[in-house]
Amino acid sequence: MSDHHANGAAQLAAQQAAQQAFLAKKKAKKAARRNNDIEEGNLNITSLMDVVSIIVVYLLKSYGTDPVVITPTAGQKVPMSRADAPIQDGVPVYVSQRSITFGSQRVVQLDENGDIDPTQVTGQLIGPLFDLMSEEAERSKQTSASKDEPWEGTVILVGDVNLKFSTLVKVMYTAGKAEYSQYAFCVIQLGG
Amino acid sequence: MARRKKKSVDEGEVEANLIPVMNVMFLLIPALLLAMEVARFAAINVSPPKFAAQSDQKEEDKKKEEKPLNLKVFVMSDGYRVSASGQQAGAEGGKAADSTKPTIPLAKPGSDLSDFDRYNYEALETEAVKYKKLFPHETVVTISAENDIPLQAIIKTMDALRGRDCTLLNAVSAGEEVPAECLFWSPIVEAGAG
Repeated sequence: MSDHHANGAAQLAAQQAAQQAFLAKKKAKKAARRNNDIEEGNLNITSLMDVVSIIVVYLLKSYGTDPVVITPTAGQKVPMSRADAPIQDGVPVYVSQRSITFGSQRVVQLDENGDIDPTQVTGQLIGPLFDLMSEEAERSKQTSASKDEPWEGTVILVGDVNLKFSTLVKVMYTAGKAEYSQYAFCVIQLGG
Repeated sequence: MARRKKKSVDEGEVEANLIPVMNVMFLLIPALLLAMEVARFAAINVSPPKFAAQSDQKEEDKKKEEKPLNLKVFVMSDGYRVSASGQQAGAEGGKAADSTKPTIPLAKPGSDLSDFDRYNYEALETEAVKYKKLFPHETVVTISAENDIPLQAIIKTMDALRGRDCTLLNAVSAGEEVPAECLFWSPIVEAGAG
């Protein structure tokens, strides 16, 4: 009787072991299949890399061809024009309706009518702007001299559409006094 | 002679990890796009203003002797005053200038100064074409304005005087000859040259 019991228990244990082995095998197969699936769905990054590299090179090239980067000040509306001549290398002066900015520094405030504070102007000369422009002219002259290149004092006037002619003339006069002899009005090209 | 065994292809094929490079590239694209100009900028090269002085007057007189056309356009609040060789166009007989009325009145009389289309740019261009036919080699025009005239009106005046079909891109960047369609493309900005 006891032998019969022992045989039954052994059979049961063998069945359980076989069942476990079967389940383990099934799990392994499933895992293997899952792994295979992942491998099949692997992205080919090389072609994506090619596309991205081309875009980056194109953007870098078009960025590098601009001699001067014009970034109008907040609220400034640059005039529109049919002119198509490219902007040559020069020093930008931003004249919005409320201020004159030179070299990322707000130099002079304008009143609500677009006029310069009379205490900042002597005749046609805008004092604080003249000081900064003269300093910059000296610096760029030294740089040109060290490179054995002639210095061409070019100033790019980035004005506002509503900039008054009287203010424009004062800025040009001040630039002239600071030895900048060439002027260019920055405009947005119509249809460009 | 013993030959060297070829390395097995399966032997340690190492793939470069491109993910960090991709991350940098993807950051560079928006950075460059932001740094780029959204609008296309162009330049109008102008000569500096001249201020009343004894020496300047002498130089002006010399120029008058050399060049018969001394085209001047004065932008006023009520229109354009155009003069050439010291004679205002449309002035009363026997008078060099007629300050009471403009040569080309406004296209939109009574409009505000901030309305940049108030001036008759077409009529100004027609006038410029007439002068260009008489003086084909002349390129210089002196532009002046009243104190309150906005920059956009000055720019549009320069556009009209340059001519609508004028393209200076090749002349400036490639050193080519300025096209014949260009009228008065070399402006001088002068203070108070009314």
